[in-house]
Amino acid sequence: MTDKAAETKTLHDIKSRCSSLKGAAELFKDCSAGEKKEMLALMKDAARDIAASLTELEKGI
Amino acid sequence: MNKLNVLVVDDDALARKVMGNHLKAHAVDFAEDKAGALKKIGENRYDVGFFDLMLGPGDDYSGLDIVSAAVERGVYPVVVSSSDSDEIVEKAYLRGCRDFYAKGNEEANVCDILRRYIHSRAAVKPEEIFSSRFVTADPATRATVLDALKYAPTDLPMLILGPSGSGKTALAGIIHDYSGRAGAFVAINCAAYTEDLLEAELFGYRKGAFTGADGSRKGRLLEADKGTLFLDEIGSMSLNMQTKLLKAIEEKTFHPVGSDKPEKSEFRIISATLDDPQRLIASGKMRFDLFQRIHGYTVTLPPLCRRPADIFPLIAHFTRNNRRLAFAPEAKAAMQSYAWPGNIRELRKFVELLSGGETGRIAAEAVNRRLKNSGVQAREHGSGGNDKLYSLALSEGLDAVIKRVSEDIIRRNLAENGGNKTKTMDALKISTRVLYASLPCDEKKSRRTDK
Repeated sequence: MTDKAAETKTLHDIKSRCSSLKGAAELFKDCSAGEKKEMLALMKDAARDIAASLTELEKGI
Repeated sequence: MNKLNVLVVDDDALARKVMGNHLKAHAVDFAEDKAGALKKIGENRYDVGFFDLMLGPGDDYSGLDIVSAAVERGVYPVVVSSSDSDEIVEKAYLRGCRDFYAKGNEEANVCDILRRYIHSRAAVKPEEIFSSRFVTADPATRATVLDALKYAPTDLPMLILGPSGSGKTALAGIIHDYSGRAGAFVAINCAAYTEDLLEAELFGYRKGAFTGADGSRKGRLLEADKGTLFLDEIGSMSLNMQTKLLKAIEEKTFHPVGSDKPEKSEFRIISATLDDPQRLIASGKMRFDLFQRIHGYTVTLPPLCRRPADIFPLIAHFTRNNRRLAFAPEAKAAMQSYAWPGNIRELRKFVELLSGGETGRIAAEAVNRRLKNSGVQAREHGSGGNDKLYSLALSEGLDAVIKRVSEDIIRRNLAENGGNKTKTMDALKISTRVLYASLPCDEKKSRRTDK
């Protein structure tokens, strides 16, 4: 994969994860306590993935 | 809304969770990769599929293959992806995807997609509509209604124009039924209320908001949540009320009378008026910004006198479960040449009068008597002029009627004077300019040739 293609895929990942995070944040207040816990765990995973993708991008510069 | 079988394919667990929440009214299944998705699609039990395109790191848009498989199995394929370059969008549509949305606005998009899907499944059946819900045999009116129904599953506001009794409320109800909206169809005639009452009716009120408000009441805007709010005779609404309505339409929130707590409602608005909206705006009776908000798609229904072919199908419809009527040929001719200024509403009342008061085949005399009575009643209520002209004025405006009457009088006088224009100008006390403005084009040409 070329650097350009890799960068495109990483950016796609970041956009995708950010959209999911935004969607989850909008739904959060209406979730039950159990769902909130599950949602938070997934949101933290997504946030970690975003941070990892950002680090990857940084390395490429 | 019907419960659908939906398949969501996304490699992101949080995205699956979010979609699952938006789709919780339906039976939802999930897959996170191509193999899992293809296996599930092979089970032939899904109505709609929401597919991400890039499934996992290093994946090369394998979601496109899932779209193709879904098409083969009759699943309504929708792509929801962050890869939304023109090239990818085109590729997805070429594979048979029906809707493509960029990720990020799932709540609104999922509703739109399901509504569109349900609309595509419940295809409009013209014969069913035109034989019972909106009876018309007139090709132009049928085309108008079918065109309007194409916009039924959208959020676009609609404005229905037409004289009183021409079927505006019936059409609004049909549009709602084909919209796929989960909420109710809520109709209100704005002309039937004073400003204060209309505000209370639309926005609701809290206990003690005004004298006589013994309890709280939900307003029509809230009743129409996720449904359709039909505002009939919107042209009669005061400017003050229009300002409040505009704010509610724009913000989708409003305050019930006497309450400081805002209410939220997601309604689609359909309005109707028998007035010309441009004239209402020009005369300062309608706010331009409100008009901009309510006229997304405009439908104009013709008066009954412009679709005489509808008179007998409508009569058959009105009498379907009651006493059937038969008419003598002269009676039919009288009915077809009558202007029906009250349109379908007047025809319905006329049929009720005949059904209750006549026996056997209806003769021309009975028809003429009833129509004459109807005319007398109209005049008693303050309407003036001949019925046909009155109806024309309602549909095309008073200026058009005055022009037509002037032309008829000038033409008649010219004929009586053997075409002598000087005599006609003297007899009618009109100028040369007025005379020539009223002459048909061919006569103007002959005048130029004469010169």
